[in-house]
Amino acid sequence: MTAKNPSNKRPLQNRLLLRRLSQLLFLGLFLFLFIHTDYSGADDMAYAVNILFRLDPFLAATVMLASKVVIALMVPAIAVLLLALVVGRAFCGWFCPMGSLLDVCRHGVKSDRAGKNTLFPRLGLWLFIVTLLLAFCGFHVAGYVDPFSILVRGLAQAFYPAAHGMTESVFTFTYLHAPDAVNNITEPIYSWLKETILPAERKYFQLAFFSFAILGGVMLLEMAQKRFFCRNICPLGAMFGLLSRYGLMRSRGGDKECGKCRVCSSLCRMGAINENRDIDMSRCNLCLECQVRCPRRVIRFGFSQPKQTSTIRGLSRRQFIGAVASAMVLPSIKEVHGLDKWSDPLLIRPPGALPEDEFVGRCVRCAECIQVCIGNGLQPTFLEGGLDAIFTPKLAARTGYCEFNCTLCGQVCPTGAIRQLTRQEKHLMKIGNAWFDRDLCLPHAKGIPCMVCEEHCPTPVKAIQFREATVINSDGAQVTVKQPYIVDDLCIGCGICEYKCPLPGLPGIFVTSGGEHRNPEHQLPRPEDFYGS
Amino acid sequence: MKNRRQFLLEAMAWSAGLGLPVPLWDATSAFAIENTPKLVVVTGKSYDILVTKALETLGWPGAFIKNGDKVVIKPNIGWDRNVAQGANSHPIVVVQLAKLALDAGAGEVKIFDHTCNEKRRCYVNSGIQDGVAAIGDKRVRLLHIDQRKFVPVDIKNGKSLSQWEIYRDALEADVYINVPVAKHHGLSRLTLGLKNAMGVIGGRRGSLHFNLGQKLADLATVIRPTLTVVDATRLLMRNGPQGGNEDDVEIRDTVIASTDPVAADAYATTLFGLKPEEIDSTVAAHAMGLGEMDPAKMRIQEFQL
Repeated sequence: MTAKNPSNKRPLQNRLLLRRLSQLLFLGLFLFLFIHTDYSGADDMAYAVNILFRLDPFLAATVMLASKVVIALMVPAIAVLLLALVVGRAFCGWFCPMGSLLDVCRHGVKSDRAGKNTLFPRLGLWLFIVTLLLAFCGFHVAGYVDPFSILVRGLAQAFYPAAHGMTESVFTFTYLHAPDAVNNITEPIYSWLKETILPAERKYFQLAFFSFAILGGVMLLEMAQKRFFCRNICPLGAMFGLLSRYGLMRSRGGDKECGKCRVCSSLCRMGAINENRDIDMSRCNLCLECQVRCPRRVIRFGFSQPKQTSTIRGLSRRQFIGAVASAMVLPSIKEVHGLDKWSDPLLIRPPGALPEDEFVGRCVRCAECIQVCIGNGLQPTFLEGGLDAIFTPKLAARTGYCEFNCTLCGQVCPTGAIRQLTRQEKHLMKIGNAWFDRDLCLPHAKGIPCMVCEEHCPTPVKAIQFREATVINSDGAQVTVKQPYIVDDLCIGCGICEYKCPLPGLPGIFVTSGGEHRNPEHQLPRPEDFYGS
Repeated sequence: MKNRRQFLLEAMAWSAGLGLPVPLWDATSAFAIENTPKLVVVTGKSYDILVTKALETLGWPGAFIKNGDKVVIKPNIGWDRNVAQGANSHPIVVVQLAKLALDAGAGEVKIFDHTCNEKRRCYVNSGIQDGVAAIGDKRVRLLHIDQRKFVPVDIKNGKSLSQWEIYRDALEADVYINVPVAKHHGLSRLTLGLKNAMGVIGGRRGSLHFNLGQKLADLATVIRPTLTVVDATRLLMRNGPQGGNEDDVEIRDTVIASTDPVAADAYATTLFGLKPEEIDSTVAAHAMGLGEMDPAKMRIQEFQL
C-alpha cells in the first residue's frame, strides 16, 4: 500500500477519496436495507436486511456464549474477524455505518479536541470483556453497547418515524393551506417520497425518547472528541483492536526528525498516534488522513512494515477482577429478581420467540423485528422483562397487533431468537390469550351491541364467539344483546381485538401471555381437567 | 402573502398538532328516488361478461358517465384474504368496472378502500393490485388512503349521526361505483352496499357499531353511489366479514347491479335465504326514503349467461 513516489500527492489523495466513497457506499447500502426492512409486497423478505448484525463478531460471540450453541445464521461474522486479522480496524474506518455517520455528524459540531488523548482508553475493552462474561453467566446485554444495535434502534424507534411525522406535517400543511400552484409541485414530491423512502404507516414507540437519547448522545459525543464512541466505548471496535495487535497490517509512523510537527497525532480521529508518533494499529482505523497530510510523507501502511509494539494496554488486574465479579453478581441478582415467578403478564413475545431465557440470551436488541412489524404491534420492552431485557420486543396490543398472515419478524431476526415460521405454523402459534373485562366491554357492561373484536378476529373459525343474552341495560330496559366470549383453543393472542376495541382508555378485551406455546407453565386450564370430559 | 417566518410558524403549529381549522364540507345534494328501481341480476361463469351485461342493461354508459369524468370504484378490500376466501370484492369484477369506465371515456379511475388489515397486504392478497396493474392504463390507479383527505361532513338528515369524516375523493367523484362483496357479518348479519361505505370514512370507525343500521343509513344520505354493483360471485356464509376458510364460501356466480343502493342490498339479502327486513341498515335506509327494499316493487331483470 505504500506510495511509489512520495513526492506525488495525487495517488494519496485518491486514497482518501476512495475511503470516503467506501464509507458513503456502505452507509447508503445500510440505509437502503434499513428502509427495506419492511413488507415488500411478498410474504418473504426480498433482501437479507439483517446482514449487518450477522456480520458482527461481537454479537456472534456474546450470543453464542449466552446460548451455548453455534448459531449458523451468525457464521458470516467469521469473515469480518478474518478481515480484521488482515487489515486491522479498517472495518471501522471504511465500512462501519455508525462510524461513517459519526464522521458525517462531526461536520455539524465544532470539536477542538479532535486528536486529544482518548479519554477512557480501556473502557471499550473492559465493556467487551464484561459483556462476554456476563453473557456466559446468563446476563446478555451486548445489545446495549453494540454499535449497530444502538444505530438501528435509534433510527427505527426515533429518527425515522420522527422524520416521517415531520414530512407528513409539512405536506399536510401545504395540502390544506397552500394554493394549487404550490401543490402542483409539492404533491408529486410527497408521492415520490411515499413510494421510495417514507414508511407505509406512522409508527409509535414507547421508548422513542430513550432510543433517541442513546443514539443522539453518541452523536453529540463527537463534540467531546472525534469518534468518541468508537475510541472509548465500542466493544466491537475493541474486539477488532485486540485482533489487530496480532494482525498483518503494520504501520510506520513519524520519527525524531519530525521535530515539533504533530500534524499526524493532532489529526488522528482515533487517538492512535502517541507522543513518539508511533501508530497503534489496535486503534488506527486506516482512515489514511495522517498519511496524506504528513508534510514529510514518511507515514506508511502495509504488510511489510516492521512490527511495532502496541500501546494499547489490557485490563489491569483490578479491572479484570472487577469484570469477573460483576459478571457473577448481576446474574445472581437476576435470579433473586425471579421474574419467572411473577413474569409480567403483558410481556407478550413475538410469534416464534424462543422460551424466555433463551430468547433474552439470543436477542441482540437490534430492533429489526420492531422495524419490520407492519402492524406497529412490536414495541421495545423497558424493565418488564428484567434489567437485562431492555429493548427486547414485546407485543403491545393497544398500539398495534400481530398481522395474521405475516411472518416477517422471524425472517429478519439475525440470531434466531425469533424462529422463522411458515404461514401455516404462524396461524397456529399461540403467543397469548385474549380476555374480556366484563366491567368495560359494552355488551357485557352496558347491554350495548358491539362486535368489533369478533369482526376482526382473524382465525378462520373465530376465537371470539357470542351468545345472545337478555340483560338490563343502562336505561333499565330489558334488551337482548350478543355478548362475546373467547374460545381459548382458537385464540392465538394476536391482539387485533384489543387494538380495534372502540372503547377509549382501557379496552374491553385485552391480551396476556397466558397460554403462550413457548412456556409450558403458562398453559391455560382446560375445562375437562376440572369437570371431566 | 405569507412571509417565510409566518409560514414556518404555521408549519410548526401544525407539527405540534395544534391543527388549523379545516373547512366543513357540505355534501347534501338533492337526489331523486325512483319509485320502481331497475335491478339487474346476472349469473354465469365469466365474471367480466356478467359485469358488462349488468351495466349495459342499466343503460351504461348513457347518462351515467361523460367524457373526462372522475370515476371512483370502491370495492371491499378490507381484509388480508385471497380471492377464494370471499372476504374481498372479486378482482375480475373490479377490473372489468374500471375497463368499462375507461371505455366510456373516464378521465381518471380511482380505486381504494380504507382497509381493516394492513393496507398493502390487503391490496396484494385480494388480487386487486395485480389485476389493476394488468390493465396498464395510467388513468386507473389503485390508491392507498391518504389521511389528509378525510373531511368533516355535515349529515343534515342524519338521525343518529350529525357529522362524520368522509373521504374527499368519494365525495368529489362524478361517477361513484360501490362494489361490495356480499358476505356474512356477526353484528349486522350481512355486509353489503351500505356497510361498504365504512371504507370511505375516517374517524373512530369502531364506535359506529352501536345502532349501526341507522348510522349506515345516515351515511347513505351523503355517500350517494351512482351505481351499486354487488359482487355475489361467491358468498361468505359464516365467520364473516373476513372468513378464512374456503368451506364457508358458496360459489354463486352472480352480479347484482342497481342505481338504488337499498334495492341492491335488499335483493342480495335474499341470496342468503334472509329477508330484506332482517337487515337493520336496509330497513333504516328504506324508512328514510333512500330506496326500495321490497323486491316485488323492483323492476328486476335476470340473465343467465
